[in-house]
Amino acid sequence: MKLFIKFDINTICTLFLKEKLDEQNLNFASLGFGEIELEENLNVEALEELKNKLSPFGFEVVENQKSVLVQKIKDAIIELVYTDDNNNYKSSAYLADKLNHSYGYLSNVFSEVTYSSIENFIIIQKIERAKQLMIVNEMSLTEIAFLLNYSSVAHLSTQFKNTTGITPSAFLRIIKKRRENLK
Amino acid sequence: MKWIPKFNSSNSLRVIFIIAIFILLFLSSIAYKHNRDLNESSKLVIHTYEINVQLERLISAIKDAETGQRGYIITSNPKFLTPYIYSRDKVNRSFITLKKLTSDNPKQKQNLENLFSLIIQEFKTFENCLKYSNPKTYDKRKLDNYLFSGRILMENIRFQVEKMKDIEKKFLEKRLKKYDEEISLGPIFSISLFSTALTFILLAYRQISRDLIRLKIYNKKLLISSGLMSESEKIGQFSTWQWDLNTDKMDYSDNQFRILGFQPNAFVPNKDTFLDFVHPEDKEAIAASMENIINNKELPFSYYKIIKSDNEIRHFKSTGKLLTDQNGNNILLGINFDITDEHLLNIELQERNNELEKSNKELASFNHVASHDLQEPLRKIQTFISRISETDRAAISDNAKEYLLKIETSAKRMRVLIDDLLLFSRTNTTKKEFIKSDLNGLLENAKSELAVIIDEKKGSLKVGKLPKLYVIPYQIEQLFINLIGNSLKYSKPEIAPQIIIHCEKILSNEIPELIDQPFKKFYKITFTDNGMGFDPQFKDNIFVLFQRLHSKTDYPGTGIGLAICKKIVENHKGYIKADSKPSEGSVFTVFLPE
Amino acid sequence: MQKNALHILLADDDDDDRLFFKDAFEEVKVQTKVEFVFDGLQLMEHLNNPDNKLPDILFLDLNMPKKTGKECLIEIKKTERLKNLIIAIYSTSSSDEDIEDTFIEGANIYIKKPSDFNALKKIINEVVTLNWHYHTSGLNRDNFLLSLK
Repeated sequence: MKLFIKFDINTICTLFLKEKLDEQNLNFASLGFGEIELEENLNVEALEELKNKLSPFGFEVVENQKSVLVQKIKDAIIELVYTDDNNNYKSSAYLADKLNHSYGYLSNVFSEVTYSSIENFIIIQKIERAKQLMIVNEMSLTEIAFLLNYSSVAHLSTQFKNTTGITPSAFLRIIKKRRENLK
Repeated sequence: MKWIPKFNSSNSLRVIFIIAIFILLFLSSIAYKHNRDLNESSKLVIHTYEINVQLERLISAIKDAETGQRGYIITSNPKFLTPYIYSRDKVNRSFITLKKLTSDNPKQKQNLENLFSLIIQEFKTFENCLKYSNPKTYDKRKLDNYLFSGRILMENIRFQVEKMKDIEKKFLEKRLKKYDEEISLGPIFSISLFSTALTFILLAYRQISRDLIRLKIYNKKLLISSGLMSESEKIGQFSTWQWDLNTDKMDYSDNQFRILGFQPNAFVPNKDTFLDFVHPEDKEAIAASMENIINNKELPFSYYKIIKSDNEIRHFKSTGKLLTDQNGNNILLGINFDITDEHLLNIELQERNNELEKSNKELASFNHVASHDLQEPLRKIQTFISRISETDRAAISDNAKEYLLKIETSAKRMRVLIDDLLLFSRTNTTKKEFIKSDLNGLLENAKSELAVIIDEKKGSLKVGKLPKLYVIPYQIEQLFINLIGNSLKYSKPEIAPQIIIHCEKILSNEIPELIDQPFKKFYKITFTDNGMGFDPQFKDNIFVLFQRLHSKTDYPGTGIGLAICKKIVENHKGYIKADSKPSEGSVFTVFLPE
Repeated sequence: MQKNALHILLADDDDDDRLFFKDAFEEVKVQTKVEFVFDGLQLMEHLNNPDNKLPDILFLDLNMPKKTGKECLIEIKKTERLKNLIIAIYSTSSSDEDIEDTFIEGANIYIKKPSDFNALKKIINEVVTLNWHYHTSGLNRDNFLLSLK
């Protein structure tokens, strides 16, 4: 006899994936068209295991190479900003060196994914660090400017103002008053 | 209490007087004794004299008897016998007298008795003589014998009398001598005592008269100051009262009566009188504070109303203090101030303040209207214009394009005007919170605000060290932005603008415009540029709202920037001025109090 | 791990502003879903309804009828479930004091409503980008202050 079976490949795949993920005790938020959102980041081994489990059935984890790279760029920038003896590095050279790509390429990928430039991200990170140093370490602008490799206090406060729209002193005032209000 | 003079002399005066009185008492007692002694001695002299007289009488009586007897014997005339007969009486009388006189002296008494027996013998002899001289019984031998023995007896009597006189004389001498000795400290001593007493009294008199003069001076001063006090109470509209807690007596100053609406001393006050005048609303509180004052020793300022005799309501302020004087009396001293005028003035001031506050609020709400309601439609006009895309524009006529552009320009200008106007009114109406700020930091902020224009114009700033001052940070930042912005805007077209900011400390008396300010020390901050400058005749005008020296096509702007600067500096009780030489640059000088 | 569309909520009583806002978001590169409420009361109702998903960014007009933006801001910061919302004040006023006041009350972003549509797009882009950085790069959200005027 001949049966005509109508099947939904999407349902099958979804159920299969769900089964496999449960096997590995992975929590996931949603299963969409070829997309899984895991609730936690996987380390390399776990990711490898998942890949191996899925590949015999013709499933392949498509790694978004660009996103990975962006994450690496971000990590490198954060490392750069939070390392205090960064005086000799030029950020573009540092990133190119560290990630083995030309700076132009990195810059393109970064803007493509984040809609903002690496330079902008570096500035945001530096200002963020400056905020922290101001509030947590109670450092003066002069000290911060030196630590974060700014040519002058003026340069730092100008960049601060340009990035956040407020001056460093106003920022400090606001944070202090917020804390007072909380008390 | 310093103003009460000390009359220390009163005690020493008392001592001087007591000493003087004792000396005088002593002197008078001596005088009395002296007097009495004198009396005694004169009595004594009289006594002795009387004895002597009586003795003399006795002798003379006997002698009379003897003479009479002899006369009779010789003449046999009985007439001669009369004295003899009387002499017997005389002798007896004298004898009785003598007996009385000598009664206090046993020795004399004895002598008198001896004398008496001698006299009796003598009289017996006389009788015998008479008997034997009588012719009938005449016996010559016997008569001779008796006459002779009479003679001897007479001698004995005389002797006895002399002896008595002698004793009396010696006794007198002895007594007189004794008296003399007793009062021998007399004259010199008493005169010196007297003069001492006199000196004391004179000294005391001098002291008294001195004190009297001082007293007079102080009295005069006291009179003046009490006069002044009562005048100043009248002028100052205050009054005092004293309440002696020991006697419970209340004393009102003259003005206390007046401010209650009475003539001075129109009634006798007691401690509760005052409460009768206190307004019923305040009565309880005032009564309580009067009670408390005794415990607290001090009356805190209390404010209340009173009703005067003519039913006028006045506002009072009172205070008091418990004083203890030298004698330990507790006196409550109170002061009442009639503060009605002040109170009314305060109310008026309050009203004006309210009015001002109201108009400030109106201004603020105008500010709100300007900031929101006026800006909203303008913003929409601008946004909608910006939404007309290039393709849309291509589809309309050139004229329409032109109009659209003009609408855009006008809207932009209106935006600038509204923004500046808001900025200007905000310098006036926003809360003025003075915070100690580092002006260097504020200048940095201003620089970062202007960074784009500075870059664009390739301008450079040379900034000296600025102080830390109590300022309104936003406003000073705005001031710096406006002044530097102004210099950048009016720079010479071909020359990179250079602005030198310099600061120094000065004293207000160096600058005539600052003399009226209540601060002594100022910071003088100068902004010197190398721009195009302006005609110095406009140096005051440029700070006036909407005053422009240039056409708005050459230099866009509303003419509000420097007016804001002036307002900001005035908010800080400072002063701003400008000076310039055309085409050499201008100097803006800001004075801010320390 | 691709993000879902960014969820945006705007509280503004002005029709035109909502229109500008909607159009601007449509032209922004990041994928967004924009919702509107028309006054403060409606906003609080919306936020307090557990059925509604909380927005990633709340844009709040200060000058609204019934309940002002500032009142909403204070209320939100007092509500445990809402206090971590990223709040962008979206207002006509641009005085430094207003800005500081709302920051002190807990706002993260202050936007002066621009008078140019392109400027609005630019601002929205900037806000979304920075917000995304704060979300994805582990920045301290307590220090998230941005003023755009």
